Amino acid sequence: MRRVAVIGGGNSKFGVRSDATFPEIAFEAVKEALEDAGVTQKDVELSVVGTVGSRLYEMYPAPLINEYTGFTSKGPIRVEAACATGSAAVFTAYNAIASGYVDTAIAIGVEKMCEVDTATSTAVGGRGCYLWEFHMFGTSFACYYALFATAHMAKYGTTEEQLAKIAVKNHYYGARNPKAHFQKEITIEAALTSRVICWPLKIYDCCPISDGAAAVILASEEKVKEFKVQDPVWLEAIGFGSDTGNLTRREDYTSLRSARMASEMAYKMAKVAPSDIEVAMVHDCFTIAELMAYEDLGFCRRGEGGRLIDEGQTWIGGKIPVNIDGGLKAKGHPLAATGCSMIYELTKQLRNEAGNRQVPLKRYLALAHNVGMTGQYCYVTILRR
Amino acid sequence: MSKTSEYPSMKSRTLTVTHDIPISKTKIYWDGLKDGKVYATKCKKCGEVYYPPQVDCSNCLTSDVEWIQLFEGTLETFTQVYLKPQGFTHYEHNYMVAIAKTAGGVKVMGWLEYIDVKVAKVGMFVKIAAKIMPDGFPVIIFKPK
Repeated sequence: MRRVAVIGGGNSKFGVRSDATFPEIAFEAVKEALEDAGVTQKDVELSVVGTVGSRLYEMYPAPLINEYTGFTSKGPIRVEAACATGSAAVFTAYNAIASGYVDTAIAIGVEKMCEVDTATSTAVGGRGCYLWEFHMFGTSFACYYALFATAHMAKYGTTEEQLAKIAVKNHYYGARNPKAHFQKEITIEAALTSRVICWPLKIYDCCPISDGAAAVILASEEKVKEFKVQDPVWLEAIGFGSDTGNLTRREDYTSLRSARMASEMAYKMAKVAPSDIEVAMVHDCFTIAELMAYEDLGFCRRGEGGRLIDEGQTWIGGKIPVNIDGGLKAKGHPLAATGCSMIYELTKQLRNEAGNRQVPLKRYLALAHNVGMTGQYCYVTILRR
Repeated sequence: MSKTSEYPSMKSRTLTVTHDIPISKTKIYWDGLKDGKVYATKCKKCGEVYYPPQVDCSNCLTSDVEWIQLFEGTLETFTQVYLKPQGFTHYEHNYMVAIAKTAGGVKVMGWLEYIDVKVAKVGMFVKIAAKIMPDGFPVIIFKPK
């Protein structure tokens, strides 16, 4: 396996992007990524396009995205792994380079979700296990994560207030990220008294429905030297994990086994421990998902996620700053864009380019945790500069 | 359909999608729901029990199963759905989705017969039943014992 580096990243503004179509928002991310890397499309050999695409008017979006961003002759490989699609795109591009198949590749994650109404989007999203779950019970992803929240609260005494504290933190950092969907701070009181979506989750426990795109350009060590990249960020490891499609076949509802599998694999590959990580992007589609991520990634023991946020350990200045770009919660979660956006943000952090959200670094080790569905997929990526 | 916005937009042509889902292999299950019964399957060769039911054994790759009825379980978790997806917005009540573990080990999803979320408890015993809703769709009902 050859070493692979991130040499550039781009991120469109996330939000309700009624001003642009899906190729047009992809263009924003790709243009920024190419300029950031200091390369052009002809320097990139392979394009991997990630999009879930289930809310689009277009059923075969990858060739159109590829064409509009100037990569017509470079693929595309289309990938889909629900909310972990962006990481699946990075994983595919990474492997194409690590294996020696190509020297450069771009991973593009694009999602347009706001062209249909909320009931339609919730129904499309909820069809993660149609026949045995959605058909009879009207499940949605808020419903699925609410089932985990109830079980976690019952087993460990986790409180609604602890979940609200995660929303408060992520909105605080979202307010400092010009690319975030929501750029306003909220209070614990506002979060706790907000509209119930699926008890015990309230609207401030849930990520918004967002449009957006993000892209990262990867290169082999040889190309890093050839392009004279000043500050490559190395992809030290990408771990993957998975779990049952049917939620009724899970061992329990307080943890995601796929996240534990993916992180164990990534830590082993990178030869680092959870305590070595200095900044993390985790998949906080719902506040309970961030709390479980603290535990599944080994930032604290099982059942102690609530205490970690109570102590403020996941803010900048704490033991392990998490989602200091606003996370999915405030930055937004345009499904396929999310995984690429995590790598984009961590690349900025590792290059000390994150401005007023910069985490002070010593070891220059960062981690991205990207979950698909309710843990049916998980990718954990470790980056080092 | 689209959200109101300051930006100009146009409507797409309408796409209506309804699927005819094959149920030949699981007809016993779907017929059982009409009679108020919920069935799992058990592989006759290796003994693996499946819920949701399946006639092909993912474990030993044979396709010879017996059908076993599930009667009761204990709640592993639950929620109450306020924001309903398309297809469920005509139900007036905020339904409660729950997962119960049966004595045999398999877990079942169902609608918990309405009780206050403050009264519902993880670990609560429930009877597993089923019915057909007025709109013709089946649902599994958990009744607290």
